[in-house]
This record gives sequence, C-alpha cells and structure tokens, in this order.
Amino acid sequence: MPVVTKDIVPLLVQTGASARVAEDIPARFVPGDTVLAKNVNPANHTRLPRYVRGKVGTIMMDHGVFVTPDTAAHGLGEHPQHVYCVRFTAAELWGGDASSKDTVNIDLWDDYLQPA
Amino acid sequence: MSHDHDHTDPPEDIELRVKALESVLADKGLIDTSALDELIDLYETKIGPRNGAKVVAKAWTDPDYRQRLLSDGTAAIKELGFSGVQGEDMVVVENTPDVHNMIVCTLCSCYPWPTLGLPPAWFKSAPYRSRVVIDPRGVLKEFGISLSAEKEVRVWDSSAELRYLVLPERPAGTDGWQEDQLVELVTRDSMIGVGFPKSAPDNHQQAGA
Repeated sequence: MPVVTKDIVPLLVQTGASARVAEDIPARFVPGDTVLAKNVNPANHTRLPRYVRGKVGTIMMDHGVFVTPDTAAHGLGEHPQHVYCVRFTAAELWGGDASSKDTVNIDLWDDYLQPA
Repeated sequence: MSHDHDHTDPPEDIELRVKALESVLADKGLIDTSALDELIDLYETKIGPRNGAKVVAKAWTDPDYRQRLLSDGTAAIKELGFSGVQGEDMVVVENTPDVHNMIVCTLCSCYPWPTLGLPPAWFKSAPYRSRVVIDPRGVLKEFGISLSAEKEVRVWDSSAELRYLVLPERPAGTDGWQEDQLVELVTRDSMIGVGFPKSAPDNHQQAGA
C-alpha cells in the first residue's frame, strides 16, 4: 500500500472514497413496500443491528447500489446490492408504550430484507 | 494550543499507545508523519461545523438551493465545496413544524465530516448511541429540548454508507437577513438534531446589523 504523503492529503480528504458502485443490479424493493428485517444472528460483521431484526418497516428511499460490508470486511468480495432507507415505527420496535408518532429510519442492504 | 497540564503527570495510557504505534509505523516507513500533521491541522482548523452552517444558511435564503439540497444532498453540498471523506454520500433531512430529525450512528461514530468536522465525544459514546433509537425524547430533554407529543421525532441511524445532516428550521424574526448573518445562528447541535439554531436577538433590526 502506498504511503500517504503530505502533498496528497488535501486531495485525498476532498475526494474521499464512496462505497457506492456503478453496477447495474436490479432493486427488489421500491419505496412504499413493506419489508421484514430478517431475524438472523451472523457471526460476521454486519450492518443489520439487533434492534430491527424481525421487525416490519417501510421502504422510504432506494439509495442505489453499494458494496456490502458483511462480505467486504472479511475479504470475501464486494457483493454489490441496493441499500434502502427503511422506516420503522417506534411502536413496532419498542412496543405499545412507545410514542405513536416517532420513527427510526435506517439504511439496510437488500440481503437483510424480505417482503412482508 | 493550551498548555496548562502538569508536566509531572505521566501521559494517559491511550496517548502512550498512540505514540508507540505512530513511532513504529513511521520507523517501518508505513506512514509519513508530516501527512499526519497535515490531516490533524485540516480537521482542527479548517473543516468544521461552519461549513455545514453555510449550507444551512444558503438553504434558508435560496429556495432553489434548498430544493436541490433536499433532493440530492451530495451534489448540492459539493456546490459549496464541502465534499470528501465521510461526506461521499449525503442525505439532508428537513425539520418542519411537524417533524424533528435527529442523527445517530448506533454502530460506531459515522458523522458527516466535510460539513460538521469530527464528531463530538458524546456522539461516539455508548449511552448516546444506544438510547437515541429507543428514547429520543429522553435524550433530547438532556440537551434541554422538550418537544410536543404531537411532533414526530424522526431518528436517522446512519450506520450504513449514507451520512445525514439536519436542515433546522429558520429562526423567527430573521426576515430579510443575509446569508452571512444567518450563518452565525446555525449551531453544530442543530445540524445533528440535538439543538436548535440560536434565536435572533430582539434588538437586531434596531442595531442595524
């Protein structure tokens, strides 16, 4: 790996490195769809937090196609797929005592979801 | 730089560990310490929440820009030059009379660096990260904010690849204010959603500022 030198720091910081990839992958869901976050307990790195597993939410946005950290973090390939913003009501996540107004919105990879 | 610590105190463990790592990596030729100094200088003195404040103030004064910002945050922020590491893919969410947005990363400390700088320590703390999703109103109270039960608190967990910025509501009494005056009212916390912009001082118009 090349060493980062002082002269390239400003360019590096200003450019960054998006995990978005230009792959033509079909989206399984569209905004408005109701989805279930899978109840799985993988031993590997994942961005599917426990608090949404097994919960039903609504697709709000399709952010496009991104590298999947679950595989990429372990050197197992980019496995590009759609990332969606999924909205869960506080009541769905936390039960009847939760506010009837509040929501939690979280970006989830296609693999984490199934139709509900 | 402040220099008021007692030189007889040994450095903290973490500080020693970082120094040891840095010298090993430098000795092996894996890092260039002047590049590290440059990075630290950038984030200590040049990249911070004033960038985000300029984005917000422009959105408050320019309806077309506000529209672009909400439909493609990344591109609209890039227009002002605040792109790069940890701001590659941005979403801007707007507070309204009915919705209050707040940002958290339950996984770690994901934060929009080009617009807000590096995250404050509390943003990275386990209590903030774990409590915001289950008790956002309780956390907001600790920041001095009490919201009507009728208002939706919309929490955004930015633990994936998108980074979020809150567009707060423009303070009352700022009609006719210029963009550069409005910048002064935008706080870092208001762009995370744990605060509001500063209020317009009552005597602002009379003072002719």
